[in-house]
Amino acid sequence: MIFSELYSAYYNTVASVLKTAVRRPLKKNELREVIEQHAFGESVLNIEPALSEERWQLIRSDGSTPLKHPPSMPMTTLEKRWLKAIFADPRIRLFTDETDLLPDVEPLFKASDYSVFDKYLDGDPYEDEAYIKTFRRILDAIEKRYPLSIDATNRRGNIVHMVMMPEYLEYSEKDDKFRLIGSGWRHKRTLNLARIAHCQPYTKPFEANPGKAIQPRMCKVEFELIDRRKALERVLLHFAHFEKQAEKIDADRYRVTVSYDKDDETEMVIRILSFGPMIKVTSPQEFAAQIKERLLSQKSCGH
Amino acid sequence: MAYSELIKSFGRIRDYMREFYVYGFKSRDEYTKKSARSYDDERRRLQSWLGDYMQFKQTPEGKNVFLSIDSRLSHHNPLYAAWKTKSFTDGDITLHFILFDILYAPEIILTLNEIMDSLDRYLTSFREPRMFDSSTVRKKLGEYAAEGIVVAEKHGKTMYYRRADTVAFTNANALDFFSEAFPCGVVGSYLLDKLDAHDEHFAFKHHYITGAMDSEIVCLLFEAISGKRSITMETINRHKDKISEKHVIPLRIMISAGSGRQYLMAYAPRFDRIISFRTDNIVSVKLNEVSERFDELRENLDGMLPYMWGVSTTSTSGELIEHVEFTIQYADDETYIHQRLEREKRCGTVEKIDAHTSRFTADVYDASELVPWIRTFICRITEYHFSNKMLENQFREDLEEMYRLYGIDGGDSE
Repeated sequence: MIFSELYSAYYNTVASVLKTAVRRPLKKNELREVIEQHAFGESVLNIEPALSEERWQLIRSDGSTPLKHPPSMPMTTLEKRWLKAIFADPRIRLFTDETDLLPDVEPLFKASDYSVFDKYLDGDPYEDEAYIKTFRRILDAIEKRYPLSIDATNRRGNIVHMVMMPEYLEYSEKDDKFRLIGSGWRHKRTLNLARIAHCQPYTKPFEANPGKAIQPRMCKVEFELIDRRKALERVLLHFAHFEKQAEKIDADRYRVTVSYDKDDETEMVIRILSFGPMIKVTSPQEFAAQIKERLLSQKSCGH
Repeated sequence: MAYSELIKSFGRIRDYMREFYVYGFKSRDEYTKKSARSYDDERRRLQSWLGDYMQFKQTPEGKNVFLSIDSRLSHHNPLYAAWKTKSFTDGDITLHFILFDILYAPEIILTLNEIMDSLDRYLTSFREPRMFDSSTVRKKLGEYAAEGIVVAEKHGKTMYYRRADTVAFTNANALDFFSEAFPCGVVGSYLLDKLDAHDEHFAFKHHYITGAMDSEIVCLLFEAISGKRSITMETINRHKDKISEKHVIPLRIMISAGSGRQYLMAYAPRFDRIISFRTDNIVSVKLNEVSERFDELRENLDGMLPYMWGVSTTSTSGELIEHVEFTIQYADDETYIHQRLEREKRCGTVEKIDAHTSRFTADVYDASELVPWIRTFICRITEYHFSNKMLENQFREDLEEMYRLYGIDGGDSE
């Protein structure tokens, strides 16, 4: 059962409370801190009195517990079956070689039971040993915070050399690719992992630019949407993963504002074009001008 | 009933989350199908669970509440929080922690009576000790055995209980990644909750998190597919606000990375066809008997895939297969455009006609599914042909309407 109290924030919070209480009596303010850290906004109003009033008979009035061991719960069958399913995914090798932990468990699903039907066809080579080695090296460098010396192939097929402090890995399911986001001498650097030919720790002194520079440059685009051919639902679902606001302005017209990273502006332009006349960009003017420019070019193609 | 932050079943909150997250433009008065009390309770719950992402906007129609989440900036799907809100009784939680303290290692094997004796000893130190009867404890142990966390073994006439063996998988990086990039990722989130806090090293682009709301349904569908079982499911038609029951044989879950939608491909005996159902429109799933036709039907579906751009298996034109082709042009420094066709095509063929021209051709069940993709090449489409002439006309009229929208419908340029 996927919706079960066994996985609830309340059970996890109480487990954290008891983890301390088996060692020593818990003070009231500590109890509150643990609850605020692990549970929801209003949970302290429920968990604290339930424990202190002994409705949940786990903590005594002096903050001690009759429990003798730090709480722990074995994995449920559901958790084991899900793990077994990820062990069959080629991407698991990026993280570990230990994929035979659950020999007698049936996976929750097999690769043939689902498909991501619109991911791009030039995804990363997850089973390639060199790629796996690069991935693990980068992950190690991110965890331990050391710079990397990297040789990568650029768009023209030439090898370029760079040094960067790796910050994190970004995965796109649509592209089926990992990108390394890091800080170079001066700028944010983004690099497709599959383009990396060689990487190793950089051992000379290296001072990357401040982390601030790797933050996305957020912009907003505002458009009017006309709800024909189920456009409202299609558009709002399509842009659901962005920070956005929608407002009804007429019986079948809506104003939608979407925030996006400036680096992805071309992609935003073509995503908006894909909705045809159901969307009209109203601001900023520069964005609308890009749409207009493409339409003008299209018109000159004779259609 | 008094308000509680926790909930008994997921159905109602699933609807509200969808409204607040996907749409977010309705005012309180527009939630007419539910009571005002229900709206206030659900809004308050979501505020408590997802407070950081809840936003409000005052409009002439009233205050709009919406969830706004940039999934690229969150290491984990915030909507998973909703799956961690199942209600329970005071007795449930008390028993849970004490039972696992009694059965603290897999080597501790006890009878129900022995467990009851131990339990009483734990509770005597409280001011008013709870009294559990043995049937309650037996029932709880039975539930835990069904979840796989307790093992119940009969020796002679006596049932013995022990905790299940521990499986140690503590690779936080793998769990961080797969909990976001793998179906039913909420289960990975449950596993992460058991680990210590750690630094997160992954971010996700084009990351649709809406599927999280359908986790229970998708999980049941996977159960059915693994067991080759037919199901009875209830689906909702949101435009008519009508729920209907369907008997189908589930064959595969199809997920769109480009829209975040998840579909069930299933054989519907009533229509004698394989068709798709959006999982967010599935309200409930009940597993039935094993279907002897599963393998044959799955093979049929595999045979259909080369003709499916998306999940549609029928055309609007009445043709069994529709033909679509279009030609694009590009400049010397735009050869990546040809690569776009190659990597983004899901079926069909791409042909390089000359150094600046490429053509895409496909035969599909439903050519209308390609239209949004073809539009992404606007500015370079030199030819297009659809065997479905209505669709072709609509494509042309849409282009003309776009010219009008941006004021370029007069001459060649403004």
